Amino acid sequence: MFRTCDITGFKVDLTSERLIRLNAVMAVVALLLAIVGAILLVFTRYQPVHLLDAEWYYRIVTFHGLNALIFWIVFFEIAGLYFGSTVVLNQRFTYPAFGWVSFILMVAGLVMVNVMVLAGQADVMMTSYVPLKAHPLYYLGVILFAVGALIGVILFFSNVITAKRTKKVGETLPLFTYGLVAAAIIAVITLSTGAVIYIPTFLWSLGLIEHMDPAVYKLVWWGLGHSSQQINVAAMVSIWYLVVFLALGGTSINERVSRTAFVLYILFICLASAHHLLTDPATSSAWKVWNTSYAMYLAVLASLIHAFAVPSSIESAQRRWGFNKGLFDWLAKGPWGNPAFSSTVLAIIGFGFIGGTTGVIFGMEQTNIIVHNTLAIPGHFKGTVVIGTTLTFMGITYYLIPLIFRRKIVAYRLAQIQPWLFFAGIALLSVSMIALGQMGVPRRHWDSTFSGGPFSFAFNPAVDFFFTLMMLGGTLAFLAALIWVLQVVVSVFFGPKVKGPSDMQVPISKLAPEGKPVKGYEAPGTLLLTMLFLVTFAVLFFINWKWLAAAWWVE
Amino acid sequence: MSEEENDEPRVPLFKIIMDDIILLLFLGVTIYAVFYLLWGVMEIATVPNLPEDFKNSILK
Repeated sequence: MFRTCDITGFKVDLTSERLIRLNAVMAVVALLLAIVGAILLVFTRYQPVHLLDAEWYYRIVTFHGLNALIFWIVFFEIAGLYFGSTVVLNQRFTYPAFGWVSFILMVAGLVMVNVMVLAGQADVMMTSYVPLKAHPLYYLGVILFAVGALIGVILFFSNVITAKRTKKVGETLPLFTYGLVAAAIIAVITLSTGAVIYIPTFLWSLGLIEHMDPAVYKLVWWGLGHSSQQINVAAMVSIWYLVVFLALGGTSINERVSRTAFVLYILFICLASAHHLLTDPATSSAWKVWNTSYAMYLAVLASLIHAFAVPSSIESAQRRWGFNKGLFDWLAKGPWGNPAFSSTVLAIIGFGFIGGTTGVIFGMEQTNIIVHNTLAIPGHFKGTVVIGTTLTFMGITYYLIPLIFRRKIVAYRLAQIQPWLFFAGIALLSVSMIALGQMGVPRRHWDSTFSGGPFSFAFNPAVDFFFTLMMLGGTLAFLAALIWVLQVVVSVFFGPKVKGPSDMQVPISKLAPEGKPVKGYEAPGTLLLTMLFLVTFAVLFFINWKWLAAAWWVE
Repeated sequence: MSEEENDEPRVPLFKIIMDDIILLLFLGVTIYAVFYLLWGVMEIATVPNLPEDFKNSILK
């Protein structure tokens, strides 16, 4: 059963639409749980309040990590994979029954894991390093969720391959769907690795296996833990291209290069799981250097390509729409009132300047030692996963509400402000955490003052200032995320129905007109911005080496 | 070679690889499994055990 969308003209399979809706709703539920956990953690790490006791702090760290990094993201990605493989390709959903099985398994997994964690049966944090042992139902919950997600990914492949075979799409997929293929392949790697480690751990928790090797566990677990965040990267970049297409009618100025960058992700990005083993003595420097550098920075090259390709596609489209004056007229006259567009641009800035630069620097064996296991690490991934992925997912939701849920966005003016508030909050939180980490403040630690402990340490007094900034940033980000959640819930369940194109608050642009051949650079403004990024990166890179040189006094 | 075959445009090898989802899946899984998992597990597996008397002295 299909309906024809009166806004996009796409044929929408109704089963697919229902599954997209349900997975998206569960994603929002998981994000709500995650941010409640986040604000409790912020006010515990903020020493003047120090809200939770030690037991509940570690319990909520586990709860927040799983809901933010796994459940919110993966539910949203499954919704995105169904959207990209059916709606965008005018394709029916090939095996609807399995879609329901996938969804039920994922929901069951989410419920089991959260119940076990909150019941105090899984105080093992997200990593659940052995020999820490949780209740068997916790591991079973994770396995059920992973199996459900894997079924969803297989269904995505089935939909795409069927669309190709039935000639609904040519040999070459649309760039957005192609990026989702990269995300889905990385998801297969991630979820299979999850099965490899969680099934024996589950059996070990039941007493059926006597011994789990902690070093091997850690190595294999990070194949799941880190690679799962690489699914986000591929999905997020795909959405950036989609938003440029929807908001401006723009495409990559060289699609082949953008596709090549996605191939580099598929081949090399998962190797970076080794970042988490940089101080482990069991593996050699050769293994660490090869893997943490994503095979000599080939996946970093891919990110740099996208970092140029996405803004240049915005610039190219804007210039073809006539915003041609000077270097940055195209940027100043962008559709900033469209929250999907502003979310995308802010996500690119935050992901590149905060998450990307620190990711490469902290991922090197030498400079990693300054910040290993400090607050700088979660500060880094607040820059990648939260400003990058979460803000991107929030932005595209402003298109999904009218197109998939067929509802108008309630309090649209608030939606236009929300991305800026969220960006400001998380950027402040992230940079403060990075600064705290650089001063040696540990991560995943209940009490930075070590009160009552046998050892004490006097941090630089500036940590109090950065803890305050972290608290302010966290509070602002929490409020902005709460606004988004409320707005989505109220719009989806109580918003006025969309009756036609005139009800679209977020505009869908026509294709940008063909441009005249350009002498020299097609996107000079982007080139300059990219150079600015390069200089920023170089400065941060050398500052970190300077700090490393000052870490020990060598005679 | 027949005339028909000459008329067919030659598809570059890289494009064939880029458009073949299953091949990309195979390559992605294999590179990761070989360089990260197998190599890493082999290195951990070859770490020698602690000498028994040293281990006992720690556990005392």
